[in-house]
Amino acid sequence: MPAERTAGSPATAGIGPTGRPLPFASAAAGRYALGALVTAIYVFLLAPVVIIIFTSFNPTEANTFPPSGFSLRWYAKFLDSGGFVDAFKFSLWLGAIAAVGATVIGFLSAYGIVRFLGRRREAGQSLALLPIMIPHILISISLLLALTIVPFPELGGLIVGHIIICLPFTIAGIIASLEGVDAQLELAARTLGASRLRTLWEVVIPLIAPGLLSALIFAFIVSFGDVYIALFLSGPGRTTLPIEIFSYMQWESTPVVAAITTVQILLIIVLGLVVERLVGLRKLMRV
Amino acid sequence: MGERIGGFGRALFAPITVLYLLFLLAPISFFLLMSVFRYSPMELYEPALTGENFARLLGEDYYRAIIFRTLKIAGLTALFSLLLGYPLAYFLARTRSIWRGVLMFLVIAPLMTGVIVRTYGWIVLLGAQGTVNTTLIWLGLVDRPVKILETELAVLIALVHILMPYMVFPLFSSLTGQDPNVEKAAATLGAGRWRTFFEVTLPLSRSGILMGSALVFTLTAGAVVTPALLGGQNVQMLGQTIYDLVLSTLNWPFASAVASILVLCQFSIIFLYFRGGRRRAG
Repeated sequence: MPAERTAGSPATAGIGPTGRPLPFASAAAGRYALGALVTAIYVFLLAPVVIIIFTSFNPTEANTFPPSGFSLRWYAKFLDSGGFVDAFKFSLWLGAIAAVGATVIGFLSAYGIVRFLGRRREAGQSLALLPIMIPHILISISLLLALTIVPFPELGGLIVGHIIICLPFTIAGIIASLEGVDAQLELAARTLGASRLRTLWEVVIPLIAPGLLSALIFAFIVSFGDVYIALFLSGPGRTTLPIEIFSYMQWESTPVVAAITTVQILLIIVLGLVVERLVGLRKLMRV
Repeated sequence: MGERIGGFGRALFAPITVLYLLFLLAPISFFLLMSVFRYSPMELYEPALTGENFARLLGEDYYRAIIFRTLKIAGLTALFSLLLGYPLAYFLARTRSIWRGVLMFLVIAPLMTGVIVRTYGWIVLLGAQGTVNTTLIWLGLVDRPVKILETELAVLIALVHILMPYMVFPLFSSLTGQDPNVEKAAATLGAGRWRTFFEVTLPLSRSGILMGSALVFTLTAGAVVTPALLGGQNVQMLGQTIYDLVLSTLNWPFASAVASILVLCQFSIIFLYFRGGRRRAG
């Protein structure tokens, strides 16, 4: 055995056990090749975002890169255009409402799933995450259809739709946080005479506050970036930013879109970093 | 643990149950049911059962081409997401770099900016005066800008970019879930790096591959915005067709038939993937 063990050790990894050279001459070369490939993939992933930020400071109309100078004219144009500013404000408002709704409902559901479902927990969790599996365009059209039949304000439909698509993320995140809470603490509170609600309010919620805040922020991010739900449920006075940009881009694409999306990117990155600091984004993405 | 569901437990589940039943499952069921109703120019539909929507959808070459194109682009997007996502997930799962957290964040960050932002980024990159064309001309590979926008290639590139993170996460989970001793054992028994990868690591990450591919495939099949902006009228896919039928033509029953085909494709892919996954595992 000892002889064979050295055959695979890093020191001699360049030569296979049969003496054949491996596809990479050495382990180090293999690592460099993987490193180069991964770097290229990161360039691919980040290029479109980086290019937008550069374009937004471009003084000319054309989307050229490298930029031919530095100018804030597209930001000025963004602030001058009523449509984009209104849509931006509406998206902030809608995101805030959807985030609160999805976090409250998500918290109740997550608590129920963790504490009350026992062996049916897996099934409950899968059902709660259902909106991820359904194409969002289908959710959106069906809500529009429902609104044409049942008298319900269309703005309500948009809010409900956003709460639905945010729920899988808030539930996944809050379940992850609840798993860190010792059920004995709740039992202790109730033995000492606290009601169910008081236990939730004074024991559970303070313990998972960072998780709740993360869920709130992440739901806002999901709502703010959504285009599919709003695609069918937007209208005069309730046009979200992505829809305003989508309609604008079907006719022209000046760097004013770059300026708006740069503001959006910075907002989202800052919020994302807050979530990352609080609980880690990976918990909300269930990875 | 898990207590008996009493009144309190039911109260916890009440909001989500009402929300999902009334605003998700009921409307979607009704919408899909409309596919067997007759079109009426005056009403949403005529309450008469008919198979004409499906007959037209599957009978006309125009729609058959759209179905075929959607399946093709969805399949290619899943394939290229896998080819690019696997090295990335493998690297993230195995690296001991102190930058791992940051690198992970950089995969999630583009995802959070939303579909519109990233689609716009590709318009800037792939346009006639965009970075890709400028670079190609500068390198002397072409002398005039190449038309990339409004082709299937542009849609494919952007969709791979937009959906790749959904491939990376399940792969990352299945790769980090592997017992590191298994790879070590393969090396000890004399397998080279490539052989260890292809005969040990890759088969063990099968569940992640299946999950990621199914996810990317279904998300691509339902895409509307990216094909509309990057492909225009040249790259008509099922999602856009539904969008036009509902908002321009107002033909709800036919839109419903198109949506039913979309759902059918998605569920059969998910079903096939999971059946394949179980057979190997069991």
